[in-house]
Amino acid sequence: MKQHVTLPQKKHLTTFSFISLLILTLFVSHPTFSQTKNENNSKSITKERTIKGIVSDETDVLLGVNIVQEGTVNGTTTNEKGEFTFPKKLNVGDVLLFSYIGYETQKVEIKEDTSFITVKLTLDDVTMIGTLDTGKPYKSKRKD
Amino acid sequence: MRYLKTIVNILLFIIAKHSFAQISDFNHIDFKKADSIALSYNNEGLYNLPKLAYQLTCNLDTDAEKFRAIYFWVCHNISNNYSLYLRNKHQRHRFKNDSIKLKNWNKNFKKKLFKKLLKNNTTICTGYAYLVRELAKLANIECNIIQGYGRVSTTNIETLDLPNHSWNAVKLNKKWYLCDPTWASGIPNPKTNHFSFQYNDGFFLAEPKLFAVNHFPVEAKWSLLEDNAPTFNAFLAAPIIYGKAYESLDQHTLPKQMHQTIKRFEHVRFEYQLKKPIQPKDVVFKIDNGTSIENIIPMPISVLNSTLKIEHQFTKKGFYDVHLYLEEHLISTYTFKVED
Repeated sequence: MKQHVTLPQKKHLTTFSFISLLILTLFVSHPTFSQTKNENNSKSITKERTIKGIVSDETDVLLGVNIVQEGTVNGTTTNEKGEFTFPKKLNVGDVLLFSYIGYETQKVEIKEDTSFITVKLTLDDVTMIGTLDTGKPYKSKRKD
Repeated sequence: MRYLKTIVNILLFIIAKHSFAQISDFNHIDFKKADSIALSYNNEGLYNLPKLAYQLTCNLDTDAEKFRAIYFWVCHNISNNYSLYLRNKHQRHRFKNDSIKLKNWNKNFKKKLFKKLLKNNTTICTGYAYLVRELAKLANIECNIIQGYGRVSTTNIETLDLPNHSWNAVKLNKKWYLCDPTWASGIPNPKTNHFSFQYNDGFFLAEPKLFAVNHFPVEAKWSLLEDNAPTFNAFLAAPIIYGKAYESLDQHTLPKQMHQTIKRFEHVRFEYQLKKPIQPKDVVFKIDNGTSIENIIPMPISVLNSTLKIEHQFTKKGFYDVHLYLEEHLISTYTFKVED
């Protein structure tokens, strides 16, 4: 093989170099990705922690707010002091959804330094209206 | 070539059939499974909406069935609160010319209303529409609250100056549909005013043209009728239709107006598209002249291809409330001033 790679065959050499470089890049880049992933995992494992917090609206703490880990059925609710302790240890990047009837749902992502979350929910921007259908037959008002 | 023509015809038929957003688009789906799942969670509280949405939908395959289970559950578990409705109506009219007071009232009332909904499973229209939207959202179904004007037999159109009703639009298979969970859930007992659950299936993915007779959205596009949407004045002038109309009719065609002035012996025409065939003996007009009510089976009646056509003549002058009953259910009301 080596004999074929001679200086006069410059064009072939260029193509060969290019392909070799391409293959080399694949090999080099693959371990690089794996490395990053491993680093993340090891970080997450070491940083897994219990999350606590308190939920209120603009005036008071809220009892019974649902807190669910996004994409799972793991969850809990706030107590009468608006406090909660999430039952499952969470990792960096996990997302908690805070929902309560009448309020806009809030998402909170767990960061490196998250251990206690303070959430303030805001009322849903909707005007409450209603018309009752009594089913009673219409009756015209008549002059006597 | 002939085959090509047939295929094109079939395609055109499918497209035409699908251009009307209504429940017949889902004739191939049996909603019994969704309904029975919803019923099995009767009396489930609202304290954990994500869990409730999951329980209602996790064993269903299509979005239409998932939405059905949510809607059916709301209609069977949330009652309409008459006293809250009256109080809100009164205060909204009181503050209608004071935007700050109206805004404050709405904010405080909203808080109170959501607390009531959570604790007692009771609310008014927007509460129903809100709950349907929230549960649908949790099931990844696009759903909106539509604010607008609703017209019933007791609505005073002279004072209909603020939106008074809420309902839902839901997107299923890339198409929007309308439904009204409040009016579908039941009616108050006429004597006690206590709400009684009486599910009316006609308000689920209702035919938009029939829906427009007594629903007028603030944002015109939510009529789903595009250029055929009625004007607000046409909506106010339309006949009164009742809940049972949604179970019996596909469309209310004639008359277009609630109040008419006619001559004696003039032929008055009534026309409806029926959901199912009907016997002429089951078509009754109750005619109220102010002192007495007369039941008549109008003649002639023709029922052809689900189109019900009626003609009637008034022989005496006077002022009449005319109520149409189909199979003993009140469908619609018109008034006629009959002159010489």
